[in-house]
Amino acid sequence: MNNELTKERSVREPLFHIEKQDGLASWKAWLIRGGAVLFALVVSGIVSAILIKANPFEFFAMIFDGNFGGTLRIQILLRDTALLLGVSIAIVPAFRMRFWNLGANGQVLIGCLATTACMFYMHGKVPQGLMYVCMILASVVAGAVWAVLPAIFKAFFKTNESLFTLMMNYIAQGLVVYFLNIWAKDNPTGQLDPIWDGMFPQLGNQYVLPILVVAVLTALMFVYLQFSKQGYEISVVGESENTARYVGINVKKVIIRTMIISGVVCGIMGLLLSGFINGNVSRDMVDNRGFTAILVAWMSKFNPLVMIGVSFFVVFMDRGVIQAGRHFGVTNDAYADIITGIIFFFVIGCEFFIGYRLRRNKQKKEEGKK
Amino acid sequence: MEREIALQLKGISKYFGEVVANKDVDLTLYKGEILAVLGENGSGKTTLMNMIAGIYFPDEGQIFVDGEEAVIRSPQDAFRHGIGMIHQHFKLVDVFTAAQNVVLGVREKGRYRLKEVNEKVAAIAGKYGFRIDPEKKIYEMSVSEKQTVEIVKVLYRGADILILDEPTAVLTPQETEQLFDVLRRMRDDGKSIIIITHKLNEVMEISDRVAVLRKGEYVGAVDTSETDENQLTEMMVGKKISLNIERTEPKNPCDRLIVGHLDCRDREGVKKLDDVSFTARAGEILGIAGIAGSGQRELLEAVAGLQHLEGGTITYIDPESGEEVNLRDKTPMQIRELGVRLSFVPEDRLGMGLVGNMDIVDNMMLRSYGKGKSIFLDRKDPKKLAENIIESLEVVTPGLHTPVRRLSGGNVQKVLVGREIASTPTVLMAAYPVRGLDINSSYTIYNLLTKQKENGVAVIFVGEDLDVLIELCDRILVIGSGRVAGIVDGRTAKKEEIGLLMTRSAEPVPADGGAEEAVGEAESAEEMPAEDVGTETAGKDTEDKGGADE
Amino acid sequence: MKKFATVALSAVLAATGLAGLTACSDRTYTIGLICLHGDSSTYDKNFIDAMREACENLGVSDQLTIVTDIPEGNECYEAARDLVDQGCQVIFADSFGHEQYMLKAAREFPDVEFCHATGTQAHTSEVANYHNAFASIYEGRYLAGVAAGMKLLEMHEAGELEDNNYTDTSKTTIKMGYVGAFPYAEVISGYTSFFLGAQSVLQENELDVTMEVSYTSSWYDIDAERDTAIALINRGAALISQHADSMGAPSACEDKGVPNVSYNGSTATDCPNTYIISSRVNWVPYFEYMIRQTLDNAEIDTDWCGGLGTGSEYTDTTGSVVLTELGSAAAEGTEAKLNEVRAKLQKGELEVFDTSKFTVKGEHITSYLADVDDAGDYVGETEAINAEGIFEESKYRSAPYFNIIIDGITEYGVAE
Repeated sequence: MNNELTKERSVREPLFHIEKQDGLASWKAWLIRGGAVLFALVVSGIVSAILIKANPFEFFAMIFDGNFGGTLRIQILLRDTALLLGVSIAIVPAFRMRFWNLGANGQVLIGCLATTACMFYMHGKVPQGLMYVCMILASVVAGAVWAVLPAIFKAFFKTNESLFTLMMNYIAQGLVVYFLNIWAKDNPTGQLDPIWDGMFPQLGNQYVLPILVVAVLTALMFVYLQFSKQGYEISVVGESENTARYVGINVKKVIIRTMIISGVVCGIMGLLLSGFINGNVSRDMVDNRGFTAILVAWMSKFNPLVMIGVSFFVVFMDRGVIQAGRHFGVTNDAYADIITGIIFFFVIGCEFFIGYRLRRNKQKKEEGKK
Repeated sequence: MEREIALQLKGISKYFGEVVANKDVDLTLYKGEILAVLGENGSGKTTLMNMIAGIYFPDEGQIFVDGEEAVIRSPQDAFRHGIGMIHQHFKLVDVFTAAQNVVLGVREKGRYRLKEVNEKVAAIAGKYGFRIDPEKKIYEMSVSEKQTVEIVKVLYRGADILILDEPTAVLTPQETEQLFDVLRRMRDDGKSIIIITHKLNEVMEISDRVAVLRKGEYVGAVDTSETDENQLTEMMVGKKISLNIERTEPKNPCDRLIVGHLDCRDREGVKKLDDVSFTARAGEILGIAGIAGSGQRELLEAVAGLQHLEGGTITYIDPESGEEVNLRDKTPMQIRELGVRLSFVPEDRLGMGLVGNMDIVDNMMLRSYGKGKSIFLDRKDPKKLAENIIESLEVVTPGLHTPVRRLSGGNVQKVLVGREIASTPTVLMAAYPVRGLDINSSYTIYNLLTKQKENGVAVIFVGEDLDVLIELCDRILVIGSGRVAGIVDGRTAKKEEIGLLMTRSAEPVPADGGAEEAVGEAESAEEMPAEDVGTETAGKDTEDKGGADE
Repeated sequence: MKKFATVALSAVLAATGLAGLTACSDRTYTIGLICLHGDSSTYDKNFIDAMREACENLGVSDQLTIVTDIPEGNECYEAARDLVDQGCQVIFADSFGHEQYMLKAAREFPDVEFCHATGTQAHTSEVANYHNAFASIYEGRYLAGVAAGMKLLEMHEAGELEDNNYTDTSKTTIKMGYVGAFPYAEVISGYTSFFLGAQSVLQENELDVTMEVSYTSSWYDIDAERDTAIALINRGAALISQHADSMGAPSACEDKGVPNVSYNGSTATDCPNTYIISSRVNWVPYFEYMIRQTLDNAEIDTDWCGGLGTGSEYTDTTGSVVLTELGSAAAEGTEAKLNEVRAKLQKGELEVFDTSKFTVKGEHITSYLADVDDAGDYVGETEAINAEGIFEESKYRSAPYFNIIIDGITEYGVAE
């Protein structure tokens, strides 16, 4: 074929090539990740300087200020970390099983709804303790039901769990709106006033208990996945259904059991949101944590302990950037999204340099040896 | 000899991280010759060829085409230099026709005129003696037809240098012959051909010269006419090794597993097992021979409790009590609970027998994690077992906690076989346990199986290399299209006779004696006419069905 | 060596942390504004712009901090607490649903003033540092309705209206449409005054008007508002107005070529062919008042209700209730008419909710118990109609409480 042209084009050889690398030392991997965070911060500092004329140093200071500037901010930082961590913990058994549960949002929300229903109908009518028990049971059962439905369909009819769980999110939202229309019929904004007195008692302040609950859940989940027989079964099913069959694991049972656990944890998160923090339910109460948790789960490689750090990082950056925006008088919602997007671009993108490496091609010193 | 050089490699090296795939390889290909590149699995044959074909770029070294240095960064570059590669795994679009696949990616000016393409394809086919229908869709094709399309695709683009990666692996003996005829015609037409293989007899049959690689390094090249299989083996392995398997006489064999009249179908309703009956005896190795996909997998999985059966019986005879235990329609868990120590080394090691992302310890407890009442795992015993296996089977691994997918094929297999043997089985089934292993590892596995037999285990061995089956097994069951074609004595059987049984029964010819009569015991097999069909029928290592399903 | 590295690392970390902490302590704020959304919402932008203007007028811009995107939940309470932590002495929240949480914060921090727009509970909560504020926006709506009536009249006289734009074959009653958020007093009061304004013009000309109202159940839902507007247009509405915060309804009108009376600000740039006029609450006077009182340590009214400004032009911006410039779609003579009606409202010659001018189920009402004290029971307890037959809107609290569906207005798509 066209030899004249091609030769000229192909005579230059690539300067770099990409090489897969397996098993990079973990300290090196973390160095790369740390570097990516720093780099992301520098870039977002520059972008902020351009977009909102922020002094980059002040920008960085504000990221810390938004998280550590005062007891309240630290409390909120920890509480929000706990909330995100809790939802991530909830989806991780399913994800380890390669069951792509995109419905944590709905599973948490239905837990909120169940909790609020108990408060709405029982508060003041039954003893407070009984109501608490009902709230716990209702939220857990509701979350489990919302999670187990797609699991049953997946196990018996091979339906696609991603679409199914995603769809369940919207049904949960629809149900919330439906019940709010009944409970808060005359309220102009369609929201239910918080039932302050129906909420769980506080331990010192409203932040301590939710954080403790999530800490316990995280520890339990870690032990469950790492050291229990059921956790082991989850890993086997996730890696290869064929292997599970070979070993004699009942795959259907594992799928359903695991999703019930997922749903139960989601339900507890709903209980925290409605029964410990808000005292009511609203359509957007979960604040898309069910989706952010997917990001957290992947970034943590499905390891519950790493999730603690990743959730903290995600919340830290989010709150930090929002505070920076406020500090510089930004009232445009898009700003925080842009900066958060930049940071995640680098943090997720850096995984490429952990799995692969760029190598400079060696120059041929002896032209035409031999 | 004044021969024109078509392609020359000088000092080619390629590294994957710490792994050296090729080191300082020199290779010369002349015009109008067939060069066989020979080497064990993992010796870097495919990597080297991929660098010529533009899939990889060499880290060091130079490639010369027609005497001029060429930089090949992509398959497009390779095509510009007239180099085309036929990969082991075909790269075709299933829903396109042969002709559409052939023109896919060809950058020509003007519009595609499918008619012209069809004519051109037909012309190429006629020239070299291919049989190809340009308008047939890929998904309707047999494996050998798909391979033909791949070859035509390369020729259509004007390749003068063809590289074929293990082309016979997927073919029946007859198809292999046809392919070799085509290759010879191409050679006579002045094309240069490289064929990658690890089968010595094919090398001797087709090639003009042989280049041998060992552990990524170039050992040397010899003219085929001036060498023999022993010399080539020595070049491949690096030392003289005796390829003999010690076969001991079975000690008081008794029936252990009686399988009767098994029938099963796959999901599409295709019959996979048809009235299969046999008996496995303690202290014996029962070999199973057949073209790949003839029902071997279904047979073993049926015994292991993984396959739904339509009919038949599976009876296990307890060695201590002599009681008969029915294994049909039991799950692996139930079989274990019945106290039947049945071990199974499946064909798909990392997809079934082991979990690739788990470490050796966790893989050790795959079959036994459920023991005991605790809800927590016990990792102590599996850890001891892992240490034992690593030591006794000389598993090369960075540590106990390395994911097994990072181990080499031979070491993966040692881990798997080691685990299955560790449970002191009474029945041990192994499907293709040496596939992809180097020669030394293969012999380790053969010896392990023989040792099990000596310990009184009923061993069932599914193999592809007939020479090995004949040397290793006490009896050989030949299976074709899910039917038992015959059971022969390993000590007296001839390769040709087994090959004939395999291919005959594979052909869906109306029963006219032959194969049907062969069903029976070893005695009848000896009277089989030793026709000269497909002297080599082993090595159909593919998940695809053989070409016999037309 | 390792020890050195550890020490160095801790030092760097500590320094960064300190930098963060010192940076936060070198700045405090006095005035905090909590918004439901950012300035991409016209509703919130109205507050943000007004607050910035007010602070500039008073020279306290550097003491203002604005937090956006605060949902109507516990987040509002936490935002308020955070603002207190930063030294704010007065905190204003802009969304109705913030009220519960502002009240909670107010109880907790009695030394800080908490002000809230459109809320209803200040006068009954007995929390001294919690205040509601609003404006007699119904007057603005009435004027906007007058502009709408002028437009309908012009279209009728020019014969531009189709058969389905009338309710009757004699073509004397024209249909309008209204996209509302929720069936709630603030919305009902708004569209009723708008309707009365339009009706007053048409009745002077021996015509009449009816209005169909449809709710979206959301304060901000572009798609729903758009779809609702289109549905109303398809049902024969010759003109659309709305009480919801997105551009959904105005842009639907522009696409369909139907005139639109907007709310919260001019839509002239996006909808040049159909925009007539818009009424909005101008929060600058209240914000100036609120800040001044706080800085002077003076009391802030529990319920503050702003009205029309003192100027005689309809575009006057000195008051809390203002109108934007007329668009090119407005009918001829509208400006004069607006100024004339405005003068009557200013002098008190004209009352918007004059019970003699409308009927409910065919009768003129003389008594109505309004739900002024928002005790959560949604039962009226306050007589709102005075001896002159005037419904006294925004008198007993700043937020509207007129929630009567009068004749001529039908709620469409509401089950009951």
